[in-house]
Amino acid sequence: MRVRCLVIEDEAETSNYICKGLREAGYVVTAAANGPDGLDFATSEDWDIIILDRMLPGRIDGLSIVDKLRALGKQTPVIIVSALTTIDARVTGLRGGADDYLSKPFAFSELLARVEALLRRSAPGADSTQLQVADLRLDLRTLRVTRGNKVITLQPREYRLLEYLMRNENQVVTRTMLLESVWDYHFDPQTNVIDVQISRLRAKVDKDFPVMLIHTLRGVGYRMGVTPPDEVEPPLA
Amino acid sequence: MPRLSNPLRTSIVAKLVLGYGLLGIASIVAVSAVFYSGTIGVIDQNIDGKIMSQTERLLDNVNGDSAEALKAEVHRLLTDGVDNDREIFELLDADGTAVAGNLGSWPSVADAPDLVTSTVLRYGRSAPARLYLRPLVQGGVLIVGRDLSEEEAVRAVIWRALLAGACVSLMLTIAGAMLFRRSIEARLGEIRRTAAQIEAGDLSPRIPVTGNDEFALLNRDINRMLDRIELLMDGIRNVSNAIAHDLRTPLSRIRSRLDDALRHDITVPRLSTAAHDAIDDIDNLIRLFERLLQIAEAESGMRARLFERLDLGRVVADIGEMYEAIAEDSNITLTVDAPASLYVDGDRNLLASAVASLLDNAIKYAGPGSVIHVRAGLYEGQAAISVHDNGPGIPDGEREKVTQRFYRVDKSRHMPGNGLGLSIVSATAKAHDGDLVLEDGAPGLVARIVLPLAVI
Repeated sequence: MRVRCLVIEDEAETSNYICKGLREAGYVVTAAANGPDGLDFATSEDWDIIILDRMLPGRIDGLSIVDKLRALGKQTPVIIVSALTTIDARVTGLRGGADDYLSKPFAFSELLARVEALLRRSAPGADSTQLQVADLRLDLRTLRVTRGNKVITLQPREYRLLEYLMRNENQVVTRTMLLESVWDYHFDPQTNVIDVQISRLRAKVDKDFPVMLIHTLRGVGYRMGVTPPDEVEPPLA
Repeated sequence: MPRLSNPLRTSIVAKLVLGYGLLGIASIVAVSAVFYSGTIGVIDQNIDGKIMSQTERLLDNVNGDSAEALKAEVHRLLTDGVDNDREIFELLDADGTAVAGNLGSWPSVADAPDLVTSTVLRYGRSAPARLYLRPLVQGGVLIVGRDLSEEEAVRAVIWRALLAGACVSLMLTIAGAMLFRRSIEARLGEIRRTAAQIEAGDLSPRIPVTGNDEFALLNRDINRMLDRIELLMDGIRNVSNAIAHDLRTPLSRIRSRLDDALRHDITVPRLSTAAHDAIDDIDNLIRLFERLLQIAEAESGMRARLFERLDLGRVVADIGEMYEAIAEDSNITLTVDAPASLYVDGDRNLLASAVASLLDNAIKYAGPGSVIHVRAGLYEGQAAISVHDNGPGIPDGEREKVTQRFYRVDKSRHMPGNGLGLSIVSATAKAHDGDLVLEDGAPGLVARIVLPLAVI
């Protein structure tokens, strides 16, 4: 079944930008342009994911839609996109029940990566004890990582980084997502700390092997998988 | 300066003065009343008591009810030479005719027994008197009394004294009130004049602080507030200038690149490269904006309600670990000494960002081959994070300035950066009630964030 998305955004150009990108990524998209419509759509139908602007015309803002939705017991993943970018605004948004908070302006690839990560999270996944990408294996019980027949020794943080990448196999993960999920911090490092960490991991995981598993997507982030990124790079709107 | 439209009704000074004036007058009246009843009142009571007891004694002295004996006793008392100039005795028979005594006229005795004050004729002279009218068993009335001329004179003297005192007090009250009003208005005038100057656009004047009273305290508070406002205004002015300058450069670069891509042979790769470059440049601009916003947010100090208890040692260890790889790649030795359980109240992302900024700076400016020590721990009773490098450091005169927005040490102008890093760290520290201190590392630089420890 195709993924159904609801986009609640009053600014026409941004709304088109988001809807077009999501449709190109293969999603079924419905758009609402104000608070009351958005609330109607959000509560009357079942969605796989809702993307909403925080500031909406028509007395009902994004946060109150999330509020109503959660009050009705619906756990639909919600991403807030907002021009309110202060940490204060972000914290109130997340505490208000949203699952993710993205500041405007944003790159579509960042939004798509986050949408996909949320969809995967809410999909009922098999609780396996082992992750595997090609011949790379990670045993979640013994914390042993092997590629082919070779045992790979990792630092604790490298292990978590690899685990996150493997759990999101074939999906784009951005630097911010890595910082938030693997390091549990949300800020904007001035230097390429994440890149350096990835290249360390890559040296242990990919070096000396014919097939690269960790791929860099210019200006977007990383992707783990057998297929090189050129063939799957998300369409830029 | 605008003035009060109806000073008597709206002025708080007038109200205070009027209130205290009335209070002053009321207290004068109260003191006078107490004094009056304590003197004249007591005298009056004494007189009444004396007259009554004298009457009873007189009647007791006379054996039987004989009118003759009574008459003789009255006569004796009037001629005994004791207190004769003030005492009054008069004996009336049942018909109201005078039998014996020293009065020429007397008030009506119809209501006897009765105590009355009246004007009587005594030895042919009119005088005020206090009289006790005592009906007798055998008929007739005995009048015993006292000439009040002397008491009246005393009463007049006391009244005059009280009146004079009240006039003097009233004048003092009015004069005091006027003085009070003038001094309050003078003090308020200082504040209002300064306010008017500031309103006119000059932020430099301050209210003169004299003495150590409530006004001095208030003026000092207002002056401090003005200092802060002036500082913030300066900051905004600097930022506007800096934005005007620092944004123009990247914007014109983006513009010329796009313009260039469109003007020459238009090919897809060329346009694509131009678009990618433009997006990168715009992303950098957005980042600059976000950082400016972050400073503003930290400086506005509105975040404390979002603070949580956190382990600073843990944050420093995490960020230190995050930078170990990058330091190693730059051939820099990075040591992290951050024991756990150093608790502060704060925002862990802001503090992590501050530590990361200090590390960014140290790595960038100390350069390859240098040694950087990162520590978290107690420092002079507070929680502290310090980043110590052995690079070139910051010259003495510039250490104060580097925390200003967009300020860059001359030597470092060729390095990438926007001159916001340390301002953000400083603003973050201040938002946590702490401070960023830069010291000479001898050699190098010690950047230390000092924060208050969490109260357990």
